[in-house]
Amino acid sequence: MGMIRGDDYRESLRRVKPEIYYMGEKVDSVADHPAFIPHINAVALTYDMAWAPEFEELLTTKSHLTGEKINFFTHIHHSTDDLVRKVKALRAMGQQTGSCFARCVSHDALNAIYSVTYDMDQKNGTEYHKRFVNFLKEVQKEDRFMSGAMTDPKGDRSLSPSQQADPDQYVHVVDRQKDGIVIRGAKAHITGAVNAIGHIVMPTSSLKEADADYAVCCYVPVDAPGLVHIFGRQTNDDRKCSGCLMDQGNPEYGIVGGEALIVFDDVFVPWEQVFMCGEYDFAFELVERFATAHRQNYGGCKVGLADVLTGATFALAEVQGTANASHVRDKLVEMVHLAESLYCCSIACSCQGYALPAGNFMADPLLANVTKLNVTRYVYEIARVAQDIVGGLLATMPSELDWGNSKIGKYVDKYLKGVSDVPAEERMRLIRLIEGMTCGTALVESMHGAGSPQAQRIMIMRRSNWARKKRLAQKLARIGEQPKLV
Amino acid sequence: MKVAFTYCGSCNPEIELSDIGHEIEKALQEAPDIEVVSRRSKAIDIMVILCGCPRACGDKKRVRKRASHCIVVAGETVDLVPVAEKELATQVIQKVKSFSSPES
Repeated sequence: MGMIRGDDYRESLRRVKPEIYYMGEKVDSVADHPAFIPHINAVALTYDMAWAPEFEELLTTKSHLTGEKINFFTHIHHSTDDLVRKVKALRAMGQQTGSCFARCVSHDALNAIYSVTYDMDQKNGTEYHKRFVNFLKEVQKEDRFMSGAMTDPKGDRSLSPSQQADPDQYVHVVDRQKDGIVIRGAKAHITGAVNAIGHIVMPTSSLKEADADYAVCCYVPVDAPGLVHIFGRQTNDDRKCSGCLMDQGNPEYGIVGGEALIVFDDVFVPWEQVFMCGEYDFAFELVERFATAHRQNYGGCKVGLADVLTGATFALAEVQGTANASHVRDKLVEMVHLAESLYCCSIACSCQGYALPAGNFMADPLLANVTKLNVTRYVYEIARVAQDIVGGLLATMPSELDWGNSKIGKYVDKYLKGVSDVPAEERMRLIRLIEGMTCGTALVESMHGAGSPQAQRIMIMRRSNWARKKRLAQKLARIGEQPKLV
Repeated sequence: MKVAFTYCGSCNPEIELSDIGHEIEKALQEAPDIEVVSRRSKAIDIMVILCGCPRACGDKKRVRKRASHCIVVAGETVDLVPVAEKELATQVIQKVKSFSSPES
């Protein structure tokens, strides 16, 4: 098979029976619940766009394992061209959804685990890589959508996993059996968790020997016994269930990817789905490679979103009669400048990517972290400029229900109108779209998704060659030895 | 055994590439049965490709074609295997010598 369509994905969700809770109630069918449909639509588009001739070049490729045509989101990168293509694919996707489409997380997890299992086997003589390759073949064949579950709740951040008062603050192995392991704990704010077919579980930080039970990487089907999903609230999420469409802003694809808390209440995992179990000395490598791949993405997908936001802001400026004001034009240029700067970062870290011992490629870690750190700033600035141009109506606009009301709708129409030849409805739709993209959850995703800013700073600190920078300066300042070239 | 050296260009090395290169070259010049030659020589047995970071910009097909064997230093790796910076020169020297006396 190798490539499915969006409707195949929707049907696959109806075949699994995960335990999901939202607003205190158990969800019967995630594929048919209004709270989740936008997120499902966004993921479904990653399948359907791959079949569209205009996106085929970006979103399909050949499996290096089977030679079959596959969706790019299950591909293992084998060149810097592949890394660049990922960024371009993410931008193209972001432009179509205006929201997170969640598929990149498992893509990055697959790439990271592919290389780390190889390295573990080289050092320890284990057979994780072979096992993982078999799993990857299945994933590619089924074109399976999975979450990448890395972040643990972490409890007391000043303590390591094994030092926690509650040992379940990090996912850990509680039993090793002949045919598999049992894991307990939780993973927090996992994108796409409720509309995935399964979860790729990874450790969340570097680990020491005492934390060996926390060094666990495995695949868990979404309906495995003991697995509980608790879906998180989003800004204005009740609009999805209120029958309003315009007030949702982006009713087709929503905002962000749909995050959930996943509880692993003694979940059994067969050995064939275990890709790390106790190798604490490889936890950091896995975290770094996954984080690098994921941080590389943000100057792709978020720039696609910024393209939509800039377009919405420009269109709104025209509707409001401000598009020709020099300061508005200047601000629109600023939005583009910021967005394209992020794109430059993602392209750069991809071009500077390199081969790993397993033969697959990863982006330059330093530049990938710079990319994501810039995203934590620039996306906010882009949103700030958009809000500046929109005006206060962003926070005070009446509901579409008032606009549709037979008695007062005429007032909404009359007083929300901008230029005379454009109906108020158009202005309202643009403002709601901008509201969804700039107010609340969507922005927080840019701050903390793929790791909080401090995580990027730590990696930048680690990856910067401080000694050489100092030596370069000392040479020119004529301090100490005077080599001709440093 | 003729050994040549080529560099990636040293745009922003993560290791002290010049020092490491000079250390390897000096050690090999003193080794018996090894002759250090220019990278433009026609007959090269081993090309040591010295790159400052894992990007390995010096590792090109046209460079590889010039020698029977290649050893690639790319940041803190030798032929993709992680090696600490202080061990890089020793590792490369050992590898070169292993080519010149394969039974070892």
